[in-house]
Amino acid sequence: MKVRKIEMGFTEPDMTPMIDIVFQLLTFFMIAINFENTKADERVRLPKDMLAKPPEVKPEHELVLNFGYERDLSGNKKANVPTVFYNERYVEVGNLTPDLEQEKRIMESLHGKDVIDKVTVLIRADSEVPTGLVQQLIKKCQDNGFSKFSLRATAEEK
Amino acid sequence: MKVKSTGLSKVEIPMAPMIDIVFQLLIFFMLNLRIIAPEGNFNINLPISAPANAQTDVNLPAIKVALRSDRDGILTQLMIGTTNLGNDDGAFDRLNHEILKIIGKPGNPMTSEIEVELDADYECQYRYTVKAISRCTGRMDPQTQQVARYVEKIKFAPPHKPKG
Repeated sequence: MKVRKIEMGFTEPDMTPMIDIVFQLLTFFMIAINFENTKADERVRLPKDMLAKPPEVKPEHELVLNFGYERDLSGNKKANVPTVFYNERYVEVGNLTPDLEQEKRIMESLHGKDVIDKVTVLIRADSEVPTGLVQQLIKKCQDNGFSKFSLRATAEEK
Repeated sequence: MKVKSTGLSKVEIPMAPMIDIVFQLLIFFMLNLRIIAPEGNFNINLPISAPANAQTDVNLPAIKVALRSDRDGILTQLMIGTTNLGNDDGAFDRLNHEILKIIGKPGNPMTSEIEVELDADYECQYRYTVKAISRCTGRMDPQTQQVARYVEKIKFAPPHKPKG
């Protein structure tokens, strides 16, 4: 009986569908990505509210203060006192004056002496932070010349 | 002189470098993507330290909303003026209703003049304060998904001392 010898040849897989999918993914990520530096610290768990919609007009000058609790990996608080997350440091509200003065100096050197009246301080405070401490933070900012404030919350879908 | 005629042959463009670059770009965008929930602002009017007599052009008295809490910051009482609205989930909806009763209707010209003064206990958790600000600011129409604006000016009363 004659056995036909089958030659093993190299089969090239068709790469076209894979390239199509890769281009689709690339297009998705290019559209979805946002390079804007929102300074949104993920350690701060903002309160949720339905009326919290992104502003139509972004403030021209803003100072973002992230105010929350230092937490461990499971989400439990490491300390009962909330701190401001500033430049990789945990700063208590009472010790924030040098940092606020530095921010003010930088803004004035970049945009002129009058800029401080136009700066909006965006306070991103954790939902469990005592209101009194938020008020203290606002007062600290006022003592350093800032006069416009906004409180941040996450948009809640109902 | 004999000229060798070269026949037209198909030029194959090597696709491997392009695929490499595309994969590099894909990895870059995947690593840089940050999915952040949309955030909104509630603007606060009037610095805390501003004296009350600085408001000479406002003729309407401020609506006083009080938030009382226990030592853990949990809301125990929500009040508008002298009316106790309770401390359950419906308390803030009642606050919203009371504010609407005061202003009459959304878009009323007086909404640009009237103020709400928030008086919260020191320990009161910030989420209750934001809820109160939100309910005083307006209401989302469930059908049209448009925001009906109530009071535009919100300010804080001088802060309380901690309960100790």
